[in-house]
Amino acid sequence: MAKRKLTVKILFFLVLSDILEAFHQFCFKKSTFLEGDPDIKGFYDILLFLKGPFSSPFLWIGLLSVIVAFVIWSAVLSKIDLSVAVPMASFSYIFVALTSIIFLHETVTLLRWSGIFLILIGVIFVSMSSQEKESAFR
Amino acid sequence: MKEGQSFILFLIVLTSLCDTFRELFLKSGVNSLEEFSPDNVKRVIIFVFKLIGNPRVWVSLLFGLLSLLIWLFILSKVDLNFAFSLDSMHYIFIALASQFLLKEKVKLGRWVGTFLIVLGITLVTLS
Repeated sequence: MAKRKLTVKILFFLVLSDILEAFHQFCFKKSTFLEGDPDIKGFYDILLFLKGPFSSPFLWIGLLSVIVAFVIWSAVLSKIDLSVAVPMASFSYIFVALTSIIFLHETVTLLRWSGIFLILIGVIFVSMSSQEKESAFR
Repeated sequence: MKEGQSFILFLIVLTSLCDTFRELFLKSGVNSLEEFSPDNVKRVIIFVFKLIGNPRVWVSLLFGLLSLLIWLFILSKVDLNFAFSLDSMHYIFIALASQFLLKEKVKLGRWVGTFLIVLGITLVTLS
């Protein structure tokens, strides 16, 4: 296996698969909104409950984005080390936190800010370790 | 620690391990494919079919399903925050597995970064 460095292009697709991953959660959540409170007592009730989400376009958009995210993620893995790709994917925590702050106007405690900051520093460390190895190989 | 709690802890470790195996098998499956260069739509489609045809990718999906089922059971028992913060340990498992099973060179900088991320996720999810 040739060693490859983390390029901007790979980073772009990594982030894209991350965003799609978050987006499918949103779609799945949205698809269940059509239902009232589910009153699940048995197996038949589960099927009855699933009828709602499955007739919602959001579920199918969500499923599609799962599949696309999976293909992009596989393509990213074919280019970089697993021990770089997985930590880099923790970008999504920062995305979720920032979107909650900007769009949902959630208040963020100092502790949570420091967590976001630590993740960011960690991601920078991991991505730099990938560059460094490449230059050593040249 | 109560008996129920240590069982949940065991399940969280188990789902983290499943996640690790999911990524390991996917990575090793993708590694066994030849070079992927997404120049045009045809190559992307070929890549997708190669993925579908690779048994390791299927094993990976199976572990993903297993992990999801255990995860759903865990969530029915404990707080999402608690479960999520402990689940971040799979980053450590991934780093270990990458180093010893995939023979990737995980150097000090990458270890430091991985630990900072785990610490950060713990802070974000617990607070």
